Formats: sequence, structure tokens, C-alpha cells
Amino acid sequence: MLFAGLTCSAATAAELPGAADFHRDIQPILETYCYDCHGDGKSKADVAFDQFDSDQSLLQSRGLWWKALKNVRAGIMPPAKEAHPTLTEQERLASWIKKDVFNIDPENPDPGRVTVRRLNRVEYRNTIRDLMGVDYDTTSEFPPDDSGNGFDNIGDVLTLSPMLLEKYVNAAQAIVAQAVPTVPKVVVERAIAGASFHKSDPATNSDSASGPLSLSYYEAASASNTFQIEHPGKYQLVLNLTAAEKYVDNQFDYNKCRLVFTVDGREVFTNDYNREGNKLFHYEVDEQWPSGEHTMSLQIRPLTPGEDQVRSLAIRLNLVTLRGPFDEKYEVPPKNYARYFPKPVPLQAAARRAYAHEILGEFAFKAFRRPVDPEMLGRLTALAEKNYSQPDQTFEAGVAQAMVAVLASPGFLFREEGVEPAPKGGGNPLIDEYALASRLSYFLWSSMPDDELFQQAAAGTLRRNLQPEVSRMLADARSSALAQNFAGQWLETRDIATVPIDARAVLSREAAPPAASAPAVSPATNAPTPQTSVTLADAGTTATPAATPPAQAGAVGSVPGRGGRGFRRGFGRRGPRVDLDDALRKDMQSEVEMYFSHIVHDDRNVVELVDSDYTFLNERLAKHYALTNLNITGADLRLVTLPTNCPRGGVLTMGSVLAVTSNPTRTSPVKRGLFILDNILGTPSPPPPPNIPPLEDSESAFSNHPPVLREVLELHRSQPICASCHDRLDPPGLALENFNAMGMWRDKERGQTIEVGGQLATGEKFANVQELKHILANQHRTDFYRCLAEKLLTYAVGRNLENYDVESVDRIVERMQKQDGHFSALLMGVIESAPFQKRRASSGLADATPSESGPHHMAAN
Amino acid sequence: MSKPDTLAAQRRTAFNRRNFLRGLGACIALPAFESLTPWKLLAADAVTAGRLAITATGAPLRTAFVFFPNGAIQPNFWPDGAGTDFKFNATLQPLAETQAHVRVLGELDHLCANPGADGGGDHARGNAVFLTGVRPKKSATDIHAGISIDQLMAKKVGHLTRFASLELTCDDTRKSAACDSNYSCAYQYNLSWSSENTPVTAEFNPRLAFERLFGAGPVGQRALNNQRRQLAQQSVLDFVMDDAKRMEQRLGSQDRDKLDQYLTGVREIEARIQKSEQFGPAPDPAMDTPPGVPSSQTEYVQIMYDLMVLAFQTDSTRIATFCLAHDGDNRSFSHIGIPEGHHDISHHQNNPDRIAKVAQIDLWYAQQFARFLKKMQDTKDVDGSSLLHNSMILYGGGNSDGNRHTHTNLPLVLAGDGGGTLGPAAYVKYGSKPCTNLFLSMADRMGIQGIERFGDSTGRLQSV
Repeated sequence: MLFAGLTCSAATAAELPGAADFHRDIQPILETYCYDCHGDGKSKADVAFDQFDSDQSLLQSRGLWWKALKNVRAGIMPPAKEAHPTLTEQERLASWIKKDVFNIDPENPDPGRVTVRRLNRVEYRNTIRDLMGVDYDTTSEFPPDDSGNGFDNIGDVLTLSPMLLEKYVNAAQAIVAQAVPTVPKVVVERAIAGASFHKSDPATNSDSASGPLSLSYYEAASASNTFQIEHPGKYQLVLNLTAAEKYVDNQFDYNKCRLVFTVDGREVFTNDYNREGNKLFHYEVDEQWPSGEHTMSLQIRPLTPGEDQVRSLAIRLNLVTLRGPFDEKYEVPPKNYARYFPKPVPLQAAARRAYAHEILGEFAFKAFRRPVDPEMLGRLTALAEKNYSQPDQTFEAGVAQAMVAVLASPGFLFREEGVEPAPKGGGNPLIDEYALASRLSYFLWSSMPDDELFQQAAAGTLRRNLQPEVSRMLADARSSALAQNFAGQWLETRDIATVPIDARAVLSREAAPPAASAPAVSPATNAPTPQTSVTLADAGTTATPAATPPAQAGAVGSVPGRGGRGFRRGFGRRGPRVDLDDALRKDMQSEVEMYFSHIVHDDRNVVELVDSDYTFLNERLAKHYALTNLNITGADLRLVTLPTNCPRGGVLTMGSVLAVTSNPTRTSPVKRGLFILDNILGTPSPPPPPNIPPLEDSESAFSNHPPVLREVLELHRSQPICASCHDRLDPPGLALENFNAMGMWRDKERGQTIEVGGQLATGEKFANVQELKHILANQHRTDFYRCLAEKLLTYAVGRNLENYDVESVDRIVERMQKQDGHFSALLMGVIESAPFQKRRASSGLADATPSESGPHHMAAN
Repeated sequence: MSKPDTLAAQRRTAFNRRNFLRGLGACIALPAFESLTPWKLLAADAVTAGRLAITATGAPLRTAFVFFPNGAIQPNFWPDGAGTDFKFNATLQPLAETQAHVRVLGELDHLCANPGADGGGDHARGNAVFLTGVRPKKSATDIHAGISIDQLMAKKVGHLTRFASLELTCDDTRKSAACDSNYSCAYQYNLSWSSENTPVTAEFNPRLAFERLFGAGPVGQRALNNQRRQLAQQSVLDFVMDDAKRMEQRLGSQDRDKLDQYLTGVREIEARIQKSEQFGPAPDPAMDTPPGVPSSQTEYVQIMYDLMVLAFQTDSTRIATFCLAHDGDNRSFSHIGIPEGHHDISHHQNNPDRIAKVAQIDLWYAQQFARFLKKMQDTKDVDGSSLLHNSMILYGGGNSDGNRHTHTNLPLVLAGDGGGTLGPAAYVKYGSKPCTNLFLSMADRMGIQGIERFGDSTGRLQSV
């Protein structure tokens, strides 16, 4: 329907009002500002605005107009030094493109079509947590989800392979087995933590009463625990222990030990252990006890006094479970019983069936997040009944089996969405209230709706109470998912946990360059050669292995203290002075998540994401950032106001962002520049052309010193084919060069003072990163608003944005401008937008209309 | 240096590889699987099934595809000499021990991975084209490639074994942000495609791959566990199938594709259960289950290779695909003294230092492959020859020169003897033929008939 005008081939110019508007309103603008390069016989980058075959083809060149709109709005075109259209002219161009090229009806914009979304592994895990009270480790059990547009919740891209379905079925089984009791009563169990055992040497006792107890293979030791028994009778002790080791590459540990377990002084169990690779062991000991006090004790006897002690071998007693007395009269309901079975199980068959029906109806409603088809509920009840009617099967086990079916079914794994009746005058229907509840909960919580949302949806009041419901949801702890999964993917900081960074190599670039006698180090953007490492390690030494055989290098890396003398010298056994270890990575991840959550919860202006005078720090991170005079102590991150003119503040200068945009051994100004274009300005650079010309011809330029990255990139930009994009990429990337690949401040690289000043392709000049942030936050504020709105809308609706979404995005941006950029303006703008609230009318025609625009994040030039 | 200094490493179990390999050694020593791969049944299959995936002696014939990322340093990769008179250069030197079973295939191309009108994205394409031979649709969300050769083979011969195919990968983490040049990440991480819009996800966790093949739990209990698991699966299949069909009727056409994927999965589980009845319980290798993803990259890759040996040895499948790392992979090789990211330095810009480092990485990959071939050679098959003899293993990448992103003269090695159907060890230059021609020639040897074209093929490859 929307595209009817275009598909009518008999249309003539007279019948194409869009073309008439073009010739009257748009062509003069293009003639004035664009034809110097894109008209009058010129067609730079294969673009000419006066070479259309017909008016029809003019109006159908949507990709071209899309790029034109993006580039003009972002100030990329015309180029900085040329005259730019006035705001009125820009607005005229934009509204013509939206109305006549994209055929957008501003009163009823096309909401697009979200392909039914499979839960990704984060959503699955959270949904299971909220539905079942079980933490199922989807990160180990399920394959990573494919992503599109940078997000892993895009319906089209979330495919379901047979292997994954098999995993879902097995997971359903495992989760239900863990969560749902299958018997009404069980023997009493008491968990006694390893840590609550008292060691014979009191100095080594831990203060904690939870967690494991660790006893080394290498030293004789014992530990004991005393407990009370109320009722005499049969009991069982279940030992759960790990034969632990600390992994050391290529070195083994041949020690052995013997474990002896005694109860009330009586030896009840003994076993010998080699190095077992962190294997778990379970032992059961049956006992008959009178009431009163009893003592169990664990002894370790080393068996190999002469062996090298390499891998810190230890017996780790995780837990002793004390079960008993084994007597029906002392049995209790199992954990979580009332959660699934709130009433006693009836005896009579019809009553049992009714009870199963009731339990499963409630359960399937929550699991499917919408009302259940009565016939399917009947089938579920029948499935339960079939199971519990078998001999030796409990009612609970039968119901549990039906719950497995629910968790394995598409109703749980996919997010099916219903719609309200279509509006009378035509147009696109609203999604129904249950679909709205799920859209909200998966958007803000990455999880299922809670009871309150379900109740609102059932009463049909959710849409009416949108604002208070959203506020309530943001106040809930589950909303941290928005920082983790939206910000974490938008800013790529979820990767900080795994991004490979080699601290030694990174730090070596900040050392003085090799002595003058050093040969020309590779001129390209290379990583340090062994020479630089040695120099850093021990400046002035000339012990330089000319060519290190890889085997030796490997040995250096893996076995500190063996071989590789030339390398080891400086860092020695200590390793580099700073390392991007797990603790620091976690701090960095927390910094960005807490920062984003602060913007959300305090409803700050989102532009503070780019530029602010605060961040979140703990002692370790403050030290890493060299902010040691702020008196920040302890491990908890907190809001810290930064000193005047501090280069930190805003996401661009956070360790996480700086590290994930680096290579393992050095910074990457190109990746950082790209990051700013992609994620702050929303004007991605096109990918590099095929057949990039090599730089080696010009390498001799650096025969006298190892180049710093700025020099290499300058050389790069001297090639016209590279310059067209790298003029945009490099300056903002280089502005961050004072931060190394671990996010630490540095003044010099390879002995040269780092210069960070530059000019954006849109013309603004900056002397340092503070000025760059200021420019991005002010002159490019609208670009940033639009970029963030596009990202958040993509994440919220889980689909690629198409050209018809321009209208919805523009409205969100207008709202942000009017409401001073507050996060709530962005969030409510997204939530109240047509793509979030509605669903394209599912006429056959609309369904069959292919995506018209191609990728939304189309290269901007 | 494999310092477990990342959270990923932390969650990987530090684990005793010796246990696993010791177990594997024991299991290789067993000709015991003869009893589990019924000779007579196979021979009967050979007649009724038109010799599908069967050697002339009636033993199973396997095909494997192993993918390495970021191309190879060309002068080091290609041998000296030609035909049967050739000598490995530095990179493939580790294959010397099994040289009699190795063909180096020169001048085979994947032109669909060239930029064409699609521009950048050579790594995404290098990956997506490698086994499909079709140009993937350039889109971040609308994924569209083609069926891959391994999956096509699996469709034809998969009924002969418990598993139609096995897909493994050593990519256990994903980067955030858009993938290569705004291609969907589905292209960059998946080699296998069961249809044009359904990538076949590979398993990254050795424990789960093992448990899927042989059952969970300790030795001796796996068959029972497997049986229990299948019973549990069986009991829910009717319900979920019905739910899927009903939902399918309520949804639009794009959504129906997703439900189709679901239903395909359900049917595969059903088929597996039927096969269990047909083949009896899965073999139970006398070895510990590998606990998870090892912290050392070397161990990770080796264990995945070991699982392939085990899967072939037990005739659990005849088709396997192993992605060592996706194209464009930027992991660091600190464990061989190269801290830089692989992708980063593969754009070596002809800098000799970088070239030397990339060549070391190429060599490391070849060493792991050589170790795998050696195991295949040392493992006896049911007909008395080696597993290697009764296999075809293609080892290669989707880029030739990682520096310049070229997709002609791809680095390819075809190992194994195809049960005696492959020609002698040689270095043959095929004169710019599509790689897909090779796929057709391999499919022929698997006994698969009726495939005239695959991807951009122009015919069969002469003299493989």
C-alpha cells in the first residue's frame, strides 16, 4: 500500500508529485551545494544528482538519498571547506526525502516487522532465573549467539540449529530436575562447609564459615568439625572434595598424599591422590549414631617428601552433607516445594488432574509470557497424568515432566507477539499488552515480565501506565541488564573480560627507544621487536638476541625462569609492572556499567556519556589511571568528581573502551577513530577498499628512527585512496593516543612526546582530548543524540533499522532536544515510538515487501 | 605463555589433559570398536546404499574439513617442485611424517569471496564462502548464503551413522560490535550451513561435544545416561512438535522460517532416537570426559582434533568440520612468543618481522594438524588400514594472502587417501579452478550421486 505509487509503471512525471517537488524545491539546493562534485558532468564517488534516467528512477534511488540525508545532516557533505546548506534548506531536503522518497506517512509511520525472537543466551539465563530460581550457566552450555548490527538480540540473526534445539531439550530436563521437587518429603540434610572445619594448626584457620577448606598435599595436617545429633538412628555423611591444582604450563607435579577420614576417632574412609586435575570426588559414609555430640576429622599425610612442589596440589573439602535420620517420621518437604506445589496433593484421580491443570496453567502462562491455548494446556495436563499414573511415579514427578515440555517448547524459547485489533481507519495495529510487557521486560531487564507486569497486561492497563511502570522497572535491580547488555555491546565493553592485551609489549612502547645504534625497527605500525623489550627491561643493555628462535620465545613465555635469558632480564620473575589482570578488567567493566546506570537512574543528560567531570573509581582503578591524589581507597567503585581539566570523564577515556579498541600489543588509532564515528557520531566509515596499496615503498622515510603511530598514519593518509576515509578516522583516534592499550596515561611513545591535536573532517580543531570531547558533546550533540537513539531503538526492537525508521528516530531526537537530553526523553521516546508499540499490519502485501533500503548503518560516503 | 589472565580463561577449567589423552591412547589401542562398527552391516549398506561413504573394502569413508584463519604466508606455504616430486617448505614441514598421504592443491579459487560490488568484508566472506561456494548476501541481519558441502554430504550419508555430522570450533568467545564490514556475525563464525539461511552452530566446548557423542557421566554409565536422556527427550517431543505447528499457523512468513528450524531440530532428535534403536548403544570410550575449555590454546585445539579422531574411530559420524578460528581472528599467540593479534599482524605490509611472525603462527597451526594426521595414521580402522587411509581431510583457509585479502590460489591441503580413491601424494596446480570443483570430486568419492553443480562449480576436478 505504501509503495503503490512506485510500483505503478505507467506513472508519468505529471503523476509523480514527489518529482515535481524535487524539481521545484530540491534541485536548486543541490545545484548550489553539490553540483561542483556531483553534477554538471562531475560524478565524484560515482554520485551525480543530475543523471537519473527518469523521475521514477530518481525517486527509487533510495540508497542514494539515504546516504545524502545522513551525510548532509552530519556535516560530512559538503566537505568542511565548502559552503553548507542552511538549516531551512537541510530541513527541506530531509522532509522531501522522508515524504517523497521513503513515502513515510508521519501520522502513521511503518512500524516495521520484528521477526519472532528466540531468547539469546543471556535472556534465557535470566528468564530461567526468574521463572525457576535456578542459575543455569548458558555461557558454558550454549553456543554464543550470532549478532547483527552489533547486538545479539536481533530476531533475524538468532537462528536455531538442531544442535541448539537438542541443548534446549536437555537444558529443560536439567533445570527442572534441579528446581522442581519430585517427592513431597525428604530426609533432612545439613550442609557443613569445608571452611567450618577447625585445623589442627589454629593459625591457619579461616575466619569464614562458608566456602571450602584447603589442605596441601605437601604438609601433614588435620581438621575437624563437631556436630550435634538430636535423634538416634541411621545417618549418612557425603564428602564432596576436589583434588585441586594450580595449572603451570609444561611442568608437572608428581606428589601424592593420603586422606584419612575419621568419625569419633574411628577411621571410616581412606584414599590416596595423585595430581588429579581439579577432579571432583564424592564419598558416602553410612553411620549409626546415638544422640549427642559427634566429631568428624580429615587428615592429610604427605607420601612423597622429596618431590618438586610445582602446582600447589591440595585437597579442597568443599562440603560435607549430613543426611538423616533415615526415618519417615522426621522427613520434611524438600526445598522449593511450596513454590511449585502450594497445596497438598489430592488422592482422588479427578482432583489430581484438576490440581495438575491448575499448576501447569499457571506455569505455562508465565513461561510463555502470555495466555495459554486451552487445548495445549489440556495436552500438558495429559502428559503429566500419563507420567504420574505410571507405577513408582509421584504426582510431582509427572508434573515436572510436563514442565520440561514447557521449557523445551517454542512458546518458551521464542517471543511470540500478538496484536490488538487493527484500527478502524486502516493503519498498523498496536502489539497486545502481553507483547508490550515482554518487550519492556526484555528491553530493560533482559528477562521475562514480573507478576506486576503480567497483572497490568491481564487487566489491559499496561499501556496506560507506561511511564510509572518504566520507572518502577528502572528502579528494580534487574535493570542493570540494560547497562550490561545494551551499553556493554554498544560500547563493546562486554569484551573487556576477554580482549587479549599483552602488558609487556604495550609498556615497552612507552620506554625510551633503543640506543642510537639500534637498527631501523620495522617502519610500519608494528609491535615492538625483541630489541625494545630488552631495552625497556634493562635500558642500556645490549644483550639482544638477533633472531630469537620461536621455541625459545615460547619457553620464555610459558616457563618463567627457564631459558630466554636475554628477555627475562628486566621483568624477571615479577612480570611487567602493571598487568591487565582479571581484577582490573572487572573494575573497568564496572566503571562503564555504573556510569551508564548513573545516567539512567539519575536521569542525566546523555551527553555526559561523552563529556563529564566525573567517573566511577576504586583504589585500584584510580591508581591505574594515575589519579592517586584523590584519596580513593578500597575495592568499591564510587562516583568521583574529577579535578579540573582532567582528561578522564566520559566513556571515551575509560580503560574498557580504550582497551577494546586496541590491538594486543599497541593502541589502534584507526579502531578508536572508527569507534567514535560508529558509536558516538553515528556516521560509520565505509570499509577499506580491496587491494589496499602497501606502505613499504615509503618505509625508507623512517630509516633513522622507529616511527610512532601518528607518523605511520600520516604516511598512510598521503595516499589519496586512503585519505578520503582516514581524514575522518585518524584525527579523533589520534586524540586518544595519550592512553595506551590498557587505558593508562602516557606522555611519550618511543621516546617522542605524543601529539594529540588535530581537526575533525567537519572542520573543528582541537588541541587535546578534552577539547575533542567538548566538540563532540556540543557541536555534534545532535549527531550523538541520533546515534544513541538509533542504537537504543535497534536494541529495543531487535531488528535492523530501515529507511522508513528515519521518522521515528527524528521524533526521538526532537524529544531529546526539547527535554535537554535527559535519558528519560530518549528512553520514553524509544518506548513510545511506532516501531516499539506497533506491528506492521500483516497483509500479504506488507509481508512480501522486501526490505527496501539495504542496511541502515550504510556507509556514509 | 598461557596465563589464565582473562575471565574467559578463568571460567575454563584448568584441566588435566593427560587424563584425557591417556584415555584416548587406551582407546586407540583397542580394536574393540570393531564390535561396535558392525562390519557386516557396513558391507550390506555398501550394496543397498550404492556404496555411500564406504571404501572398496567396506570400511567407512570419512570426510573432514578443517579451517584456519587469515590466510598463509605464501612462499612458506607452497612446496617446491611439482607433481609427485615435491618438497614441503617451512610451513607444511610438520606434515612430512605423513607426506605419503598429503596432496597440496594449488590454484584453486573462491571467487565469490572477492569484493565484487560488495566491497570490504573479505574475512566474513572468506569464512562464509569457504564451504558454500556462494556469495553471501551483504547484510547485518538478513542472512543468506548457501548450503555447505559438509552439510550436503551429511544429508546424503548421515543416515549411516549416529550423527549425520560433527561441527567443532575453537571460537569460544564473540566480540561485541558489528562484525566485518557490517556483515552479520553469522557469516564470520559459521562454516557449515544446512540451508541458505540456517547456519549450523559448531560446538566450542569439548566436554559437551564428548557428551553429545558418547553420553554424560563416568565410563560405564554413559550408555545408560544416554538412554535416559533420550527417553526424557522422547517424552516431550510430541508436545513441543504440536506447539510448534500451532504457533507456525499463527505467524507470518519470516517467522515460519524460524519455526521450520525448530521443527527440523525436533525431527533430528527423533531420527537420533530411532538410530539408537537401529545401532544399539553408543560406544563408551574408556577415558575421562574432557572437563571443558582448556586454558591453553594448544590443548584446546588438540582436544578438538582428538575428538574428531574419536568420532571417526567409533564411526559416530563420517562428516566433520572444524573451525580452528574464524577468519579475521585476532587472538594473541603469546604461547609461542608472539603477543600480537593474528589478524593484526597478518596485515604485515611486507614487513619482514611481521611476516616471520605470521609464518610462525601458520607453522603452529600446521603442527597441530600434523599431530592430528599422525593420530589418524596410527589408528587402525575396521579393515586393517589406517583411519587416515579411509578419510579425506581438507585443510585450508578462505583467504590466501592475509595481507591483501586474496581468494585465489587458496592454501589447501587434501590429506588421507579416500580409502584408496585419491591419487598419490603430489603438489598439483589446477590452473584457477573453483574450489567447489574439488568439493564435487570429493562428493563423488563419498558415493553421492546426482549433484551436477555446487556453488560456483564449473565441473569436476581432474586428477585429485
